[in-house]
Amino acid sequence: MTSTTTSTPPVASAPQEPRSTGAGARRRRLRDLRFALLMAAPALVVIVLLLGYPMGYALYVSGFDWNDKIPGDRPFVGLGNYVDLLGDGQVHRALGRTLLFAAVTVLGGVGMAVLLAVLLNVDFRGRTLARVLLLVPWAVPPVVNGIMWKLIFDGATGVVNAVGLGLGLFRERVQFLADPQLTMNVLIFAEMWKLLPFLTLLMLAGLQGIPANVYKAARIDGASPWQQFVRVTVPNLRGPILFALVVQTMWSLKVFDTIFVLTGGSGGPAEGTTTLSFLTYLVSFSNLDRGYGAAIAVASMVLVLAFALLWVLLLRDRHKEGVR
Amino acid sequence: MVNSFSRRRALQLGALTAGSLALGGCVSANDPSAGGAAAPEDGPLRPGSAPSGEITILDDNTNTTFQASTIAAFEAATGIKVKSYTQGNFNDLHDRFATLFAAQDSSVDVVMTWAGWSAEFGQAGWLQELDASAVPSDLIQPALDAVSWDGKVYGLPKFSSVQTMFWNKEMFAAADLDPETAPQDWDEFVAAAKAMTREGQWGYACDIGNAAGAYQNFLRVLLLNGGDMYDADYKPIFNSEQGVEALTRFQELLTLHQVMDPASLQTTNASDLGDQFARGSTGIVFNWPFQYAVATGEESQLDASTVGNGLIPGMSVRSASIDGSEGFAISKFSQNKEAALAWLQFVATGEVQSKIVADEGWFPVSEPVLTDPASIEALPVLQTYQESTQYATKRWGVPWSSELDQLLSVQISEVMNQTTTPKEALDNAAAQTEELVRRYLG
Repeated sequence: MTSTTTSTPPVASAPQEPRSTGAGARRRRLRDLRFALLMAAPALVVIVLLLGYPMGYALYVSGFDWNDKIPGDRPFVGLGNYVDLLGDGQVHRALGRTLLFAAVTVLGGVGMAVLLAVLLNVDFRGRTLARVLLLVPWAVPPVVNGIMWKLIFDGATGVVNAVGLGLGLFRERVQFLADPQLTMNVLIFAEMWKLLPFLTLLMLAGLQGIPANVYKAARIDGASPWQQFVRVTVPNLRGPILFALVVQTMWSLKVFDTIFVLTGGSGGPAEGTTTLSFLTYLVSFSNLDRGYGAAIAVASMVLVLAFALLWVLLLRDRHKEGVR
Repeated sequence: MVNSFSRRRALQLGALTAGSLALGGCVSANDPSAGGAAAPEDGPLRPGSAPSGEITILDDNTNTTFQASTIAAFEAATGIKVKSYTQGNFNDLHDRFATLFAAQDSSVDVVMTWAGWSAEFGQAGWLQELDASAVPSDLIQPALDAVSWDGKVYGLPKFSSVQTMFWNKEMFAAADLDPETAPQDWDEFVAAAKAMTREGQWGYACDIGNAAGAYQNFLRVLLLNGGDMYDADYKPIFNSEQGVEALTRFQELLTLHQVMDPASLQTTNASDLGDQFARGSTGIVFNWPFQYAVATGEESQLDASTVGNGLIPGMSVRSASIDGSEGFAISKFSQNKEAALAWLQFVATGEVQSKIVADEGWFPVSEPVLTDPASIEALPVLQTYQESTQYATKRWGVPWSSELDQLLSVQISEVMNQTTTPKEALDNAAAQTEELVRRYLG
């Protein structure tokens, strides 16, 4: 029955095939293409207006020496602002912080997400509740997330200090938000907390797709749990992992809201949390140096695109390896 | 041929036209090649003979009187309607204003300002200059300075503000200090702070957690040691011997004497500092006038009998302070400038100023209210303000205030965290400031 059912349609459609390669088919394809473009047009217009125009305008502005606080001419300086970027210590420091932040949050976040997903994939009592609770940080708006961690790590009234002192872990109150390095650590922690649910869900979905009989075969072959994780789980999660690396890298390089809330809009202390995105904001909106701010924004965009491209190339290569 | 101009083509052309107009509008409003402020130059604003219409006001959240009574009184007196009065957090307003102005937005007529923004936005051409005839003659000069830059007046002050010292008399008494006698110099201040510092309480606290706070705290100690920010030609001189010594002694409060609450390094505004003092576990703070109202308020652990107030003790001079007066300015892009000016003038009247003194605890901007005995009766700390006028009180609001705050806060934070020395920090900051001055003043 099954073979009869599946073989019927090709037979029925066979006489139409010669006609489908003719002029009529081309017209149909053209008409379909036009229809598809028409359907996509509203989205394309929105993208052009909301993304393309600002990006193009930023590129345009970055060619001018435009500081609102200096009245008069705004001379066109071409690549002058970009040349200045190369020798600007503040930009170099911000770039370093951005890369550090991205490296820790991306690699740490994805790594922890894999481990959490493996744990949540194990059948245990309360697993559903644990999975629901996992989503809580994702449901918290970024600004609330920043305020929450600011209060928790407050040097005078924060819970972390109260617990640390109560358990004898700290000899005195730790001023987490007064030291540049400590504040960067708090920022990384707050961001990791926020990003883990999405990444973990991604990995969990990937794990659901691994057939149980693969693990069964591995166990029959005598593989230990660690060997199963390394030889079965990780290779099968390659797709989700690489996707997570791409999106999380882009998000981490663009981090802004948590920094703003956590540091009271300063990117401090001692510019210790001023990443490239935050520096763009400070230069453009606090200092009103629009041309230079736009140049930093464009440079940041190039950086994000470069990393995205890097991951995509890696993804493609890995995919080819997998095919082979 | 019949179908050459179909409905679809018409829709396409319509969408293209709309898009082009939208983009063109955006570009024309913010085209860098078009030069500076685009508003037509119409000269300083004079008072109108019979201003009318409606105005929109965007203020910070330091005043409660306006919503409670001033707006109603203004509408009754002038017939001008206040369409909207909105308050925002001071730390957020700069960027909000900058965005409004850059977009040449005319929806807001009146904006709150202070010395730094008057210089910054005034030089940008975003604030309406006022004619001398629009400025009341009884204004106190420091208050008027807060709305002026480079010889031009860009607004009218709404209250005066100078930092003074507040101390907790209960903590003084508990530390065997005379609660009625203020420390007269820096050494006495340090000694008092040391005596009060013990488990769970600090002798002194401040707010250097953000860029503006760091600048203010540094400027204050600089003035207290007889130093200054610039010479007559705006050459930075804050890295002088007085400056280095002042910053060193400030740092020692945290590192050597250990009388400064370490949380001061993360406290980002004066309101939080005010609340901290009102909780009763901080001996001394140098804060704005509102501190008195907060410390004697219903939610405070203190009251009028346990809050001391006096001049900030100096290092090499008897005293000095920083100015934080605020005012209102008119957006260059406002369509209701005469009505807006009427609001500015109304707020500066004696009637409104007396309410601001009595109900909010800020200092007045008009001389008659300042010298009125009823004002001192309503706000005892006004007496300290009158005394402080004998000593240096500055703010140095300049167009490069934002950049200066940022670069100085980095250096001060590093000094407080002992990763650099006060001299290195100030030399570094002075070199960067010199670049800024060159850029903005030529």
